[in-house]
Parts: sequence; structure tokens; C-alpha cells
Amino acid sequence: MARIGVFVCHCGENIGRTVDASSVAEALRSHPGVVHAEDYRYMCSDPGQTLVREAIAANRLTGVVVAACSPHMHERTFRKVVAAAGLNPFLCEMANIREQCSWIHEDREQATGKAIAITRALVEKVKANTPLETIRIPIERRALVIGGGIAGIQAALDLADGGAEVVLVEKESSIGGHMSQLSETFPTLDCSQCILTPRMVEVAQHPRIRLYAYSEVEEVSGYIGNFEVKVRRKARSVNETLCNGCGACTQACPNRKVPNEFECGLGKRPAISVPFPQAVPNMPVLDRERCARFMAIRKGITKAVCGKCAEACTRGAIDFAQEDRFVTEKVGAIIIATGYQLYSIGKEQPEGEGLSGYGEYGYGQVPDVIDGLQFERLASASGPTGGRIVRPSDGRVPKRVVFLQCVGSRDPSRGIPYCSKICCMYVAKHVMLYRHKVHDGEAVVFYMDVRAAGKGYDEFTRRAIEEEGAIYRRGRVARLWRDGDVVKVQGFDTLSGEPLLLDADLVVLATAVRPQPGIRALAQKLSVSCDQHGFINEAHPKLRPVETNTAGIFVAGACQAPRDIPESVAMGSAAAAKVLGLFSKAELEREPTVARVDAAHCAGCFLCERVCPYGAVGRREVRDRAGRLVKVVAEVNPGVCQGCGTCQATCPGKHVEVQGFTDQQIYAEIAAL
Amino acid sequence: MAFQPKITAFVCNWCTYTGADLAGTSRLQMAPEVRIIRLPCTGRIDPLFVIKAFERGADGVIVSGCHPADCHYNSGNYHARRRFAIFRDLLDFVGLDPRRVIFSWVSASEGGKWRDIVDSAAATIRELGPCRADTGDEGRGRLACAS
Amino acid sequence: MRELRELAVRLLETSDVQVVIGWEESRRGVRPAFAQTPAEAERLVFDQRCVHNLAAYLHPRRKHIRGLGRPAVVVKGCDARAVAGLIRDNQLRREDVVLIGVRCPGVWAENKAEGQPGNRRWAERCVSCPQRTPTLCDYLIGEDSPEPSGGPGLEAQVERIQALPMAERWAFWSSAFERCVRCYACREICPLCFCERCLADKSMPQWIESSPHRRGNLAWHLARALHLAGRCVGCGECERACPAGIPLSILNARLQQSVRERFEFVVSDDPVAPSPIGEFRVDDGQEFIR
Ligand SMILES: Cc1cc2nc3c(=O)[nH]c(=O)nc-3n(C[C@H](O)[C@H](O)[C@H](O)COP(=O)(O)OP(=O)(O)OC[C@H]3O[C@@H](n4cnc5c(N)ncnc54)[C@H](O)[C@@H]3O)c2cc1C
Ligand code: SF4
Ligand code: SF4
Ligand code: SF4
Ligand code: SF4
Repeated sequence: MARIGVFVCHCGENIGRTVDASSVAEALRSHPGVVHAEDYRYMCSDPGQTLVREAIAANRLTGVVVAACSPHMHERTFRKVVAAAGLNPFLCEMANIREQCSWIHEDREQATGKAIAITRALVEKVKANTPLETIRIPIERRALVIGGGIAGIQAALDLADGGAEVVLVEKESSIGGHMSQLSETFPTLDCSQCILTPRMVEVAQHPRIRLYAYSEVEEVSGYIGNFEVKVRRKARSVNETLCNGCGACTQACPNRKVPNEFECGLGKRPAISVPFPQAVPNMPVLDRERCARFMAIRKGITKAVCGKCAEACTRGAIDFAQEDRFVTEKVGAIIIATGYQLYSIGKEQPEGEGLSGYGEYGYGQVPDVIDGLQFERLASASGPTGGRIVRPSDGRVPKRVVFLQCVGSRDPSRGIPYCSKICCMYVAKHVMLYRHKVHDGEAVVFYMDVRAAGKGYDEFTRRAIEEEGAIYRRGRVARLWRDGDVVKVQGFDTLSGEPLLLDADLVVLATAVRPQPGIRALAQKLSVSCDQHGFINEAHPKLRPVETNTAGIFVAGACQAPRDIPESVAMGSAAAAKVLGLFSKAELEREPTVARVDAAHCAGCFLCERVCPYGAVGRREVRDRAGRLVKVVAEVNPGVCQGCGTCQATCPGKHVEVQGFTDQQIYAEIAAL
Repeated sequence: MAFQPKITAFVCNWCTYTGADLAGTSRLQMAPEVRIIRLPCTGRIDPLFVIKAFERGADGVIVSGCHPADCHYNSGNYHARRRFAIFRDLLDFVGLDPRRVIFSWVSASEGGKWRDIVDSAAATIRELGPCRADTGDEGRGRLACAS
Repeated sequence: MRELRELAVRLLETSDVQVVIGWEESRRGVRPAFAQTPAEAERLVFDQRCVHNLAAYLHPRRKHIRGLGRPAVVVKGCDARAVAGLIRDNQLRREDVVLIGVRCPGVWAENKAEGQPGNRRWAERCVSCPQRTPTLCDYLIGEDSPEPSGGPGLEAQVERIQALPMAERWAFWSSAFERCVRCYACREICPLCFCERCLADKSMPQWIESSPHRRGNLAWHLARALHLAGRCVGCGECERACPAGIPLSILNARLQQSVRERFEFVVSDDPVAPSPIGEFRVDDGQEFIR
């Protein structure tokens, strides 16, 4: 038999003014199943809580209803109180007679009547409550970080320093991401490599970080605390344990004419190469598309061709027969840090993205029209020109450089309505770098607005204008074309209202920031969602910026939205902190208000599986004693289920129930109201 | 005595329940006929609840939760929207006035909107009169009281 | 008829089929038949009297039929849609059944007085059948025939009721539901009511009162109709089975109209097309929401 206790709070005058709390207690006293009812001025105060505790013991209560404020306010408080008295905390419910009664009504009689009704309904619910135990899920205290840009590096180091094991997967042959391509960085103009390289080395040497470079995530299964990840280690054609990074092979390769991706096509590299001298791991990759031996094999030539690299390697590390290998790692959490790519103005655009190029800028075919990253490489001391800013076409030092902001960005007609956020800043930086190197050069910037919100950022752009004398023109450039030795820039100054036609020696386009190619496929493997542009969705734009909607999966850096370095680092640290928080316990504790399937009656129609927003519903085979398959039923993974109850409302027979909000409980409430 | 309708509101925990709390915190006065039943999500709200509420003497029902795209559980509200679109068509077809089932999106910050929903629901139901699905007979004319 | 029998015999003799589910003559018309031998297969018939939806025999809960072995089933258009529904709802695997499609001419309205050939008319649902010839089948037999015509068709009936004033709609349906004796014949015969344990049989809590009283009847009919929204194949079996003469087909048709108009969904015999319940679109209509 139910023995329910009802505790009615006056909340000082807050409830007492319009609801007669003692009448509520009085009325409930005669309600079937209620063995104790009392009212008190402040139920949440220490004496109030003591009252509840003592009443539970004295009356051997089997359930408690506290008629007071909103459960959002004090449900936790009173569940703790109840637990302290030795009763299961989920046998306590709150009747909201403040926010949803006393505060919204004036007529005392009416409000009191309503308070009684509300409390009765909750008493009926509590009678149908069952004790629930906190769910405990074991946690694999290792994390996977996908992407070794600055965001991923930061996350990996923070995690490893915090005591967690880390698996870092980077698809390129070295970690570092875009930051390794930058020359100097706003707003302080410190050298990018100088601050990045030590962190890369730290990653390589950290005892708790396992780095898989030149690798990709192939498959992911499992759930928070218990993911299983299959990693594809792409064939480098170099034996990782033998190679010591001496670089003899790269020297020996006769094919030295391959466009260098790291240099954004501005330099050349051999077919076997290390992207840049500080690469981590410092180990070459043989580009099978460009290697003479493999080209010969593709042509059907059976004789072994070239092999100069293998001859040069004293350690015998070159392995032409190497194949992709797979490793499986168990991790408890995943951080996505795959960064960005730059939009290209070319005619060819990735399929299905709704993007289009810039025909009026020559679809990227005009020499001496480059993008921001190419400019970084030109300005970089370790770049193809040794830091001399020269024109790609003829190597001449440009005397007038025109910078265009918002190329692609904020241009819905090209398919990119958003602001890329970093361009205003790096264009100001480019202006300075240029003026520092070419003292008599003129820098002209076309902009829509200058958005320099950030610590020291506005000062930085002002410096570009005021100290470096950059000419900022507000307006868009309508057309770019090659005219003999120069690039003609036709535009419009929207402030002065005058049309402009400039001769530029070099044009630098600040093209839009876009997510990495393949992000959607990766997101699908991880069952996280992307926005319409392909940036990973955070769980909440304000309150959960580094979590995704899938428990245990986090996001950091420019794969979530355009981000600069400080933001990417902050996100990397934040995601690491979230993961460390998760790992701080041996087991994950979850509210037990999750769905449970009645396997005996489940018809296995899997409607629940289709509607579950979290993919929490799986399938389980039911077998008889002889091991014969009887049927396949739904099964909810309590580690993934969030308890929304959509499955239950959808199940035709109601064979899946959310604990704490079962049909019995809701029915009881409906019937009592 | 004037007809005092009984209205049961099924609301999600995250948006509408919080919005209703906010209405209280803001001391917005509203019609006293509505009683709230808190559920995790509109996705949990089953037409069976509504049928049962009517059987048990409710004259009207409110179903309310997070706006599209704001669902705490991402998509529970989209499923609820489909479910109730069909359910209301069915009620209408069998001659049960669908105006007795008020569906709304009320966010955690829309205390004022919640007050308006409550007040207008009370007004609508008062006008429609009692729904006697509980007993059947006397209500028969009333249930169909529309037009 | 020859074609059907030959095929049935061939399947039983030469392939991995242990039972052919079809129809045979009985003293009172035709009845479902379970032919396990070539001799039994020789008795199979198909014509306008074959109203039964044989897909209902494929439910996992009909263990005695599953026990007969791998079945081949004769399917009309509506039967094929039901088989597709069972596959979609994971009650049956496509490879576990052989489907003998028949080009359905339409079936006769079941005449309760029976036996008066002069009195024959097409079943209402056949007049408005969306697809008489199944595409979901392994064999297709029979010949094309002209479209059945006659009665107003179900759609028109739905329109007629929808056009009544609300009070009259209620009067119509409440007096219909009042007659329900809660025998659940409609449920037992429905090819898509495959639940092991129906909601209506649950008592903790009892959402649907079990006694044949107005209250429970209303809940039963609303719940039944809702569960079949986007799933009912319009075979009319429920209505045929109902001893109380409740026009369940009209109710079912109304909901199929609802999912068609709202979600552009039409029940077909494509087993991969998901039913509209369980799916959503971000821009689903919400004119009724405030
Ligand atoms: C021209 C230009 C100048 C800039 N200058 C500055 C500046 O001065 N100051 C500043 O603060 N910011 C600057 N930025 C911005 C800066 O580049 C970014 O903020 C930063 O690089 C973001 O770091 P990230 O780690 O998020 O992404 P990334 O640097 O893009 O790194 C992502 C990493 O993930 C890897 N990856 C991608 N997909 C996968 C996959 N599927 N599996 C495994 N690995 C994957 C990539 O190979 C890469 O290594 C500039 C940007 C540009 C374009
Ligand atoms: S919806 Fe219900 S019957 Fe269908 S699989 Fe899920 S729990 Fe089982
Ligand atoms: S309660 Fe929600 S999250 Fe949990 S299994 Fe059901 S639908 Fe999925
Ligand atoms: S509800 Fe009736 S018409 Fe629809 S599939 Fe079931 S038996 Fe056939
Ligand atoms: S067959 Fe007819 S009488 Fe029997 S339960 Fe169904 S509707 Fe009611």
C-alpha cells in the first residue's frame, strides 16, 4: 500500500498570500494513500528539510510530494533530502503551486482549489513511481582527436597533460594544419612556425599521445564512453619504424617537378617528400601518382623502374609494396578538429554544395591573382621565395597590391551567406607584411565592412591604415582581368560614389572559409550533424559550444565555423576540459530516466528506431533455450538515450517506456486532474 | 453557475514548462482553468493522453513545446507535429471539434505567449461548452457543438 | 486458373516452397487455402470472389502457418501493398516469401445475403483502387481487365461525410462506434495489425477501456485508425469482418487522404518507402499550430 507524505510550502508569502497552504495540506490528508500532510513556511530551509526527513522515517513513507515551487527550482534539493532519509530519490515529485498557481492567480479560493488539484495529481503520479537507480556506464579513458591542426594539437596536449591517453588522427603526412603555412600571425605578428613547432614536437614526444599521421577514420561504432574506431593508415611506402627522417630519399628523387601543395602550388617538390622541414612526424610520403616507378606500373611496364630513393636510403625503409593498414582503437570520447579549406573561385565547384565560382574574376586563371594562403607562403621566410614578396608570373616585386575582402563570403548568390570572420584581420596583416617588405609599395584594400572585434584587433587594423598607409576602399570589385603586364581592377567606391579602375601588380583574394571536403561523410560516420554549409553543429550555440548532439563527441576549431587561432585554441582546450570532466570518473553516471523496451511484447517493428533522435535504439535477437531465433526486438542503449520519449509515443503497443514518465504515471496524473 | 471548463495542458519540460514558470515569475495573471502535466518532450505526447483527458472530463487540451529547430531533443517536436496534424484531422472527421486540441510552440522565454495561449484556450473552450466524452450521451450534441 | 495451378504445382515440386497460400472453392463461395501438395494446388482458384487479404497469414505471430514452411502467396494489388508493409515494418523478410502476383480485376462487394449473382457490384475500394496489379511479386499471372466501376468509391464517401456539419459527423460516427461489440475481428483480420500484444489488451494502464461502452469504443476506434495512418492498404478486410457493419474503410480512407495531402505520402507496394509516421520534414505544414 502506498504511504505518501505531502509537504506544502508557504514560500513565505509567495505561495501563502494566494494559496491557503494549510487548507491544501488539510485537503490532501484525506486523499487516498496519503498518510501524512503538513505545511511549513519554508520547506527548502534546513528545518523544512528536517521536517521531510523525519516524516519519512516516522511514517515509513513510500513516496513524497512537495507542493512548492517549480521542479526546475528545487526538484534536485528535495530528491536529495528524500535520499538522505533512505528513500529512493525518484519517489519524490514536486507539485508546482508557486510559478504555476499562486503567482498567476489572485482569487484565493480559486488558487487554493487549483493548488489542491495539482497536488493530488502529483500524489497519484508518485503512487505509480518506481525506484530508479542511477545508470552507470564504464568509460574508456582514452580520447580520439580527429585533425592535427592547432585546435586538435591543443586538445591532444591538454588531454594528455591531464592524464588521458590520446589517439590523434591526421589525414596529411604531418600535423600542424593551416597554421604551419602562415607566416606571421595577427594581432601580434609573431612567427607562426616559431610558436607552433614546439607544440608539434611536444605531441610527437608525449608518452600519452599516439599519433597516426597520414591516416583517416574509417569506421566508428559504440557510444559515449565506449567507442570503437577503425583507423586507416594510408600507405606511405615508407616503413615507419626504419625511417629516421634523414631525407636522403627526397634528395635522390629525380622527379622534382611536382606542384607543392604545402606551398599552395607556388613551389615544386619531389615525388617523395616531406611537406616542410619541421614536419611531425618527420617522415616522407611517396606520392604514387607522381612516382616514376608507379607510373610505369600503371602503364603496364613490368620492369622495376627508377628506385633511386630506395637506393639512397641507407636504412632500407622504402617499401614500394606497402599497403593501407587498419588499426582499431577503443576510446571513450571523440573530438572533431578537422579545420577548414578555402573556397576557390574556379569554375569547377564541389557537387551538391550549391556553390558557384567567379567568372568576372577570371575563374582563378589570371596569373598574379592569388589567395590569402598563397600570400602567406610568399611572405614566409621558409616559403618558396624565402620571404620575398614577388609576382608568381614573372618574379617581379609588385609595387601595387590590391586586396579584396569577402570573396565568396557574405555573397548568397555564390552559396555562402556567412562572414568568414578571419579575413578582415589577415588582410590587415598582409598589408603590414607587404609594407614591411616593400617600403615603397602601395596597398589597396576593397572591403564591405571592417570587422575587427577581438582583443587588440581593432587597434591592429587601425595600425594597418594609419601607420602603414593602406588605402581602404569600401566597395566591391566588379571585374578583374589581365591587361599586358598588369591586372585591371574595376570597382566602385560606395562611400565616395566614384567608379574605380586600378592597375594592380598583384591581387590577393580573401576567399571564404569553408569546411573540409569530406566533412559530411565523416559527420555521418560519427552520427553528428552539419549545418547547411557543412560546419559541424554544436549542441547549443551559446551554452554548449564545444559539444555535439551526440554524447561523447566534441568539436573544436574551424570545422565548427570560421575561427582564428586564439579561438581554435580556446575551443581545443574547452573540448579537452569537457573530455577530462567526463573521464574524471571511472563510470559515467546518468539519470535513469531513459527508455526501456518490454522485450516480451515488442513486435520488432522498429518504428522506435526510426524516430529516436539519438540513434539510441538498437536491435537484439531473442532466442529460445535451444538457441533458435524467436524474434528480433528493439533495445535501448541507456548510455545514448536522452529520455525524450518520442519512441514511446510512436510505438503502437507502448512497449517501450521512459522511466519516470511511464504511461502509468501520466495516466494517473490525467485521471486525477 | 457559469461553465468552468477543465483544460489539461501537456507540455515539454524544457521550453513550455519553463515558459510557464517564467510567466509565474513575471506574475502574469491568467485563467485558472489550465492544469499542466509535465513531460520530457512533445515527442512523448501521445494522442492517447488527449483521448484519456477527454474521457476523464477535460473540455479542452493544450499541447505545447519547443519551437521547430529548438527542440531540446532535436526532433521530438517534429514527430509530434506530424502526429497531431493527423490526429486533429481524425478528430475533425469524426465530429469532435479539433478546436478543443490547442497546439502551440512556446519557448522558455515566452511567458507572455503562454499566458495568451492559456487565456485564449479558456475563452475558446468556454465558448464551445463542455465536452462530454466521459459519459457519451448528454454530451453528444455538445461535443459536436461547433458551427 | 490453369496458369495459377501450374505455377503453384511447379513451385511446390521444384522449388523451396512448402505451401502455397491462395483460395479454393468451398460450400459458401471461396475460402483461403493452404496447398501443401500438388493435388491441393490443383484446387486453387482466383476470381472476383477472392476478397481475403492473404498477407495477414504472414504475421510472425501466426506460428502455425510459419510452421508449414516457406510460403508462396497469391497477391492482389492490395495484398501486395500489405506484404510491403510487413517487410517495411520488419515482420517479414522479402527472401522468406514467394509472391505470385495476379492482375486483379477487382473483387465483388461481399453480399451478406450471398448467392445472388444478379446482385453483384464491385467492392467500393476496388472502384478507387490505386493499383490493382502488383509490382512487388516474383511471378505475375492473369490478364488485364477493365477498371471496375459503379459505386461512388471511397474517396467520394469521405468527401460526403467531411462535408456534413460537425454535429452530424459526430452523430454518424458515434452511432457507428456505439454498435461496436469489441470483438476485434477487424484487428485480427488486418494484415497490418501484427502487434504481439495490442494496446487495446493492455491494462497497466488501460488506455482503452475494454468493455463495449461508448467511452472505450471511441478510444478504440481513434487509436486503431491512427495506427493505420500511412499504413492501411485499403483492402477493406476490417470492414468485411466487422459483425456490426461499421464503415471502417471510410475512416481509414480519411487518414490516407490526410497523409497524402499533408506529407505527399501514398501507401504503395514499395517495401522500402518508409511510412510517414516515423519520418518528418522540417517544413511540414503547421497551420494548426499557434
Ligand atoms: C590566409 C590566412 C591567414 C590567416 N592568418 C591568421 C592569423 O594571422 N592569426 C590567426 O589567429 N589566424 C589566422 N588564420 C586562421 C587560422 O588558419 C585558423 O584559425 C586555424 O588554422 C584553425 O585551426 P584548426 O586546427 O581548426 O584547422 P586547420 O588548421 O585547418 O587544421 C585541421 C587539420 O585537420 C586535418 N584534417 C582535416 N580533415 C581530416 C580528416 N577527415 N581526418 C583527419 N584529419 C583531418 C587537416 O589536414 C589539418 O591538419 C588565417 C587563415 C588564413 C586562410
Ligand atoms: S516501436 Fe514498439 S513494438 Fe516496435 S520495435 Fe519499438 S518497442 Fe518494439
Ligand atoms: S526516449 Fe528518446 S532518446 Fe531514448 S530511445 Fe526513446 S526516442 Fe531515443
Ligand atoms: S485497416 Fe482494414 S483496410 Fe486497412 S489494412 Fe487493415 S484490414 Fe485492410
Ligand atoms: S470488428 Fe467491428 S465490432 Fe469488432 S471490434 Fe472491430 S469495429 Fe468493433
